[in-house]
Amino acid sequence: MDININGRIVTVPEKFRDVTLLEFIRSSVGLKGTKYGCGAGLCGACTVHIDGAAVRSCQTVAADAVGRRVTTIEGLSKVAPEAGLHPVQTAWIEEAVPQCGYCQPGQIMTAVALLAHDPNPSDDTIRNEMSGNLCRCGTYPRIHRAIVRAARERGNHDVRR
Amino acid sequence: MMSADSHNRISRRRFLIRSGWLAVGATVVASCSSFRSLLPALPTFDDPELEDSLTWVQVLPTGGIRFFCPRMEMGQGASLGLSQVVAEELNVDQSEIECVLPNTQQTPPFKMTVSSESIADFFDPVSYGAARLREALRTVAAKKAGIRPGQIRDGRGGFVLPDGSALRYGALVPSEPLVISDPAVSEAEKNPPRYALQRQGAYKAIGHKWKHTELEKIVTGQTVFSQDVALPAMLHGQVIRPPSFGAILLDADGRVAQAMSGVVAVVVDKKSNFVGVVADNPFVLPGAIEAISAKWHVADDIDQNSLDEILDVEDLRARDDFEHKLASSGDIDIGRQRARHRVSARYDTPFLAHAAMEPRAAVASVGGNRVEIWCGSQDPFFVQRRVAEIVGRAEDEVVVYSHRMGGAFGGRIRCQASEEAAILSAAVDRPVRVSWDREAEFQNNYFQPVYSHFIDAGVTPTGAISHWDHDFVSSPILTGSVPKSISWAVDMFTADEGTARGGMPPYRVADRRVRYSDVRTEVPVGAWRGLGAAPNSFAIESVMDELAASAGIDPLEFRLQNLSPTQERLAGVLRRVAKLSGWGRVMPQGAGRGLACAVYKGETAVAIVVEIEVDRATGEVRATKVWCAQDCGLVVNPNQVEAQIAGNIVWGCGMALKEQITIAAGSVEERNFDGYEILRHHETPEINVALVAPPDTPPVGAGEAAIAPVAAAIANAVFDATGHRARRLPICGARVIP
Ligand code: FES
Ligand code: FES
Repeated sequence: MDININGRIVTVPEKFRDVTLLEFIRSSVGLKGTKYGCGAGLCGACTVHIDGAAVRSCQTVAADAVGRRVTTIEGLSKVAPEAGLHPVQTAWIEEAVPQCGYCQPGQIMTAVALLAHDPNPSDDTIRNEMSGNLCRCGTYPRIHRAIVRAARERGNHDVRR
Repeated sequence: MMSADSHNRISRRRFLIRSGWLAVGATVVASCSSFRSLLPALPTFDDPELEDSLTWVQVLPTGGIRFFCPRMEMGQGASLGLSQVVAEELNVDQSEIECVLPNTQQTPPFKMTVSSESIADFFDPVSYGAARLREALRTVAAKKAGIRPGQIRDGRGGFVLPDGSALRYGALVPSEPLVISDPAVSEAEKNPPRYALQRQGAYKAIGHKWKHTELEKIVTGQTVFSQDVALPAMLHGQVIRPPSFGAILLDADGRVAQAMSGVVAVVVDKKSNFVGVVADNPFVLPGAIEAISAKWHVADDIDQNSLDEILDVEDLRARDDFEHKLASSGDIDIGRQRARHRVSARYDTPFLAHAAMEPRAAVASVGGNRVEIWCGSQDPFFVQRRVAEIVGRAEDEVVVYSHRMGGAFGGRIRCQASEEAAILSAAVDRPVRVSWDREAEFQNNYFQPVYSHFIDAGVTPTGAISHWDHDFVSSPILTGSVPKSISWAVDMFTADEGTARGGMPPYRVADRRVRYSDVRTEVPVGAWRGLGAAPNSFAIESVMDELAASAGIDPLEFRLQNLSPTQERLAGVLRRVAKLSGWGRVMPQGAGRGLACAVYKGETAVAIVVEIEVDRATGEVRATKVWCAQDCGLVVNPNQVEAQIAGNIVWGCGMALKEQITIAAGSVEERNFDGYEILRHHETPEINVALVAPPDTPPVGAGEAAIAPVAAAIANAVFDATGHRARRLPICGARVIP
């Protein structure tokens, strides 16, 4: 009944098996960076990674994550190629993406997963892959730019190596 | 049963006439302020005074500056822009300023954070407070050095003495608090030089693209929103809210819930229409709520049709029954005779929700001699007053700790979760957290009211506007939240300025009349981004497009020809956006362009060009490109202002194409983002922004100006592409296809 959350082994108590992974992460583990927006798979605010894939944690129960590797926004720097912020987080700051910021952990988790399977996404790919993450402040144009920047910077990084 | 149309049987105006209150045709648009003293806890309305600012800026012994920002933060970046003003006055860098969202004990009450006033109205007092502090410190430095203050020059983070040695602010912090409002201060100190007003062109902080210090916390998930507040001994509460507007709690049986493991208390208070449950963990709450059977007297006869009947401009026109006059000059009947081309059209916009991404939440701790609230609100002092009233405490026993809000847009002037948490905490004598789920947000907050417009206007043979006859009906917005017990009195004597915002066209028309009614219905309404600005502009700017088309004049030319002479800055942004967008370019089949403009709150001039594509099969409209030129005077942080404009454009696209709240059986039909759709990433247009401002113009509102013309520009583009006039929002694809 163990989940690896950001490198830490967390046991899911029997009575919490059926609570959503989102609730479990926030209320039981106490990691508040993953957000509740709709509880219905409609907004993407709760996006985390399970074994590297972007997943809506409000649509997953804790038991389903047992034996798997969960990464939340707090753990992102640990999977970054170098210490410190993940390059996508850096790009987000460079482009000054957040307004209120509430949707941004989910946006970033979706973007990181997108860039992991498509390091050089087209504009259309970005538009489609990001369409499940709502932002009421309307930061979409800057989100788009930050993803392009992160992809470009990773490209440069790879070339230098 | 409450009858929805009982409101309409006798209008306020008819009542006033009958009871002799009204000699002339309509009430004048009067400020609501004269009635405030009669009302229970209301939002904080008072504008800032210069002297208030003396409590906002502190120097710490380390030399750092602490800025208690008198504006709440919801992503608009007011705390950043105002920090730049502080930095300008005190000659410090961003890293030397610690910007704090103050709790209600740290500063005197300040006005609610609304209406895009944070820079416009606080630039001056913040600059004053910081400048006063600087000059007070200069006096301290002079005493210390035994010279006159005038001999001491400014340095980075402090001063420079005549011998060239530096004296940092930190070295000047006295052991006793320095009271800069001391009546003994000299006149010179009371009127300090203001770098924020004087350094134009040579600013060191203002006008620079500072980035918010919160960004790193946001992108790493460290920011504590009110949803994230957790106290060690905190319990968890949930509330059963009325199933329909005005529903009355008859009875609730909580015995089964009370016996459930983890449940601490079931709180039933019929007098307050309140049923809630408190548990020691959040996971049992849904089951406990389910186990409580609550019986309500419901008012289920309110539906969209009955509301649309009340808010029907044509019906009011037929009865010639409008309560307030915004403008009346010349004679519209004479003007009408000069029209070669005439347009008479009705425009409608629906109820709209804020749909901020963070559902509201609060933690309350109602203790023996102190009540503490952690929440995010646009008006923490209103929260303080409401909670004091609800738990029967003195105002100064209540402290509200403010958190960054996950979006607000007018929807968080009240924080109902804090009131609910306070009731529950008082009942169990422990801190209690209440958080709303998405459904609660859609069902239980207040909305942008429906607007129904009718405009009759025309064009003379020479291309001038012959007459302008505009009537509209909506609901009171600024006083939307006053309790039922007194709303009747409030409505009798006030014309809601929020409802009317943006209702005056910026064009030159001698013969014109603009009237409106603000009719209260059972649907709770209140501030929504821009208040009346967006719905009113939708009607006005659509009609301008209709007039231009009927007269065969280019819409840009038509506006420029007819702008009133005082609207030079609006002419400026119109010309600029035309240039930016290459106005006049011929569009391919299935695409179109539309133009619209507005002056927000009589100050911020904004013009928009939108390019759209129409799906030939479905009629679905997508905005592909938007150009915007805005003149909001001095720009304190271009990065933030551009972000606000983009946000407004995204909102405006959602409003034009997707958003709508509908009412059935006394409650809101939409429950989540599938029913109430907001704009998504893939639907977002490419956005180009130009900021223009004549030199030496003070900053004016930027947070909700650009939303005003967006819907009209899109509707005008739909006409350009298809010949179809979209006169009802949201624009419906099926109707676009002929
Ligand atoms: S909270 Fe999970 S998708 Fe919205
Ligand atoms: S930044 Fe506010 S919801 Fe996205």
